[in-house]
Amino acid sequence: MAEITFFHYIHKDTVLHRMDGRLKLICLLLLSLSASFASKLEHYLVLLFVVIFALLIAKLPIKALLKDIKFFGIIILIVIVVDAFNIPGDPIPYFPVTSISTKGLITGLRFAGRLTIIILVCAVITGTTSLMTLRNVVEWFLRPIPFVPEVRIATMISLTFTLIPVIFDNLAEMMYAQKARCVELRKNPIERINFIVFPLLSQTLRKADEIVYAMEARCYSEVRTRAVFKTNKIDWLLLAICISVFLFVIL
Amino acid sequence: MPIVETENLTHIFPDGTIAIQDISLKINKGEFVVIAGANGSGKTVFARHLNGLLKPTKGSVLIDGKPITENIIEARRKVGLVFQNPDSQIVGQTVAEDVAFGPENLNLPANQVKAVVKESLEAVGLSRFSTRSPHTLSGGEKRKLAIAGILAMKPKVIIFDEPFTGLDYPGVVQVLKQIVKLHNMGHTILLITHELEKVLAHADRLVIMHKGKLVEDGKPEDVIYHSENYGVRMPLNDGQKVATLTWLK
Ligand SMILES: Nc1ncnc2c1ncn2[C@@H]1O[C@H](COP(=O)(O)OP(=O)(O)OP(=O)(O)O)[C@@H](O)[C@H]1O
Ligand SMILES: [Mg+2]
Repeated sequence: MAEITFFHYIHKDTVLHRMDGRLKLICLLLLSLSASFASKLEHYLVLLFVVIFALLIAKLPIKALLKDIKFFGIIILIVIVVDAFNIPGDPIPYFPVTSISTKGLITGLRFAGRLTIIILVCAVITGTTSLMTLRNVVEWFLRPIPFVPEVRIATMISLTFTLIPVIFDNLAEMMYAQKARCVELRKNPIERINFIVFPLLSQTLRKADEIVYAMEARCYSEVRTRAVFKTNKIDWLLLAICISVFLFVIL
Repeated sequence: MPIVETENLTHIFPDGTIAIQDISLKINKGEFVVIAGANGSGKTVFARHLNGLLKPTKGSVLIDGKPITENIIEARRKVGLVFQNPDSQIVGQTVAEDVAFGPENLNLPANQVKAVVKESLEAVGLSRFSTRSPHTLSGGEKRKLAIAGILAMKPKVIIFDEPFTGLDYPGVVQVLKQIVKLHNMGHTILLITHELEKVLAHADRLVIMHKGKLVEDGKPEDVIYHSENYGVRMPLNDGQKVATLTWLK
């Protein structure tokens, strides 16, 4: 698999890693909402401060994250430029390019700020929460909703994440094996896609069959041990911080 | 009373392939049985009947004297199956999660699940990997993980389907040590392989399958000389003893 640190779980033992997943998900929601509602400069500064603080206590590899964030940087830059040129208003004083409006630039920057904060919040949450926890949290939130088979949905989520790397490895291997037999000499791209798609599909289905057998061999059942969530004082404190930030922004 | 027993077990696939035919076999508690046979001789299909993953076309399977159909979950708990391809057995995103899958299915209380996971990982020596992603483990470690996943269900009988395929020398030794240890702890072991030179010394009994039929069953030193009739390499040189057929020192 590609070596991307962004949006990947990185196992550490920190307050954020240990935090109750349910509260963490609520914090994610609160901070993202705050970012979308933020309008004044001090809102952004407070949010940025909170996120950087979170990155630091989570001990995530900030350097590697910054390297990966480049891709988002390009998108953010495009947003700023497009807004700056397209939103009508007074031109910026003493600035040579007159088609850029002050209002446009500010709107662009504001939007970019929101996007950056949301991306960083997501990076912190995914970096400190294992998929298993995420799965359990989803299951917990779905539990009170009638007619929703929460265990089945949760199992599907985790199986999907388990299967994706397997399928990609498989695909890569198949492509190498076909290259070794000079598949490149075939000029018809549809033919070449056929050689990949059908075998991959049938292999994946066969693999899925095997996994079903393996799960049955281990007595798969939907009446299963439920995850135990533990909440401690620090978790509530962190939630309180997020709530205050949210209130500060919307009031 | 045999712990596992099959009576005239036959399986015919919908496409007409007769995978196994009229297999009657009794396995006693504590035995170490090696089942050998050429590719396609029906070993995997047979193993999958022993814990009810496949339904017989004809015949029956008894676990502790009771038909498997009576309580299939109980049967699957008692008879653990380690798959030929460990990748297909992995369902968790971390090693510990994967081992927890079985006990969670049995709906054990969370603290008991935790304890049994710890115990199983310790038993196979994978404790230090508990937070690793299973796909980053080596072949031998993956096999051990698959074994831990089965141990967590506390089975009495463990079936290993080709446990040595794809492993290098240290990998084979690691896994073999584990299997012998489990046997010494009192588990009944069924080991499917065609590489007799790696394990036969540890077995009490050798069963050979050929084209879906059970053709030989007896003491290793009696049966082994017929193995080449059925596409299984006879590993003994002149004057060599069965007791030397192991990769453990
Ligand atoms: N799903 C299926 N549909 C039809 N035939 C099958 C199916 N699965 C297995 N078979 C056939 O059943 C026979 C026995 O297969 P099995 O997988 O048990 O062989 P095996 O002894 O385990 O071989 P190997 O050493 O290659 O693992 C083979 O002829 C195989 O082609
Ligand atoms: Mg097989």
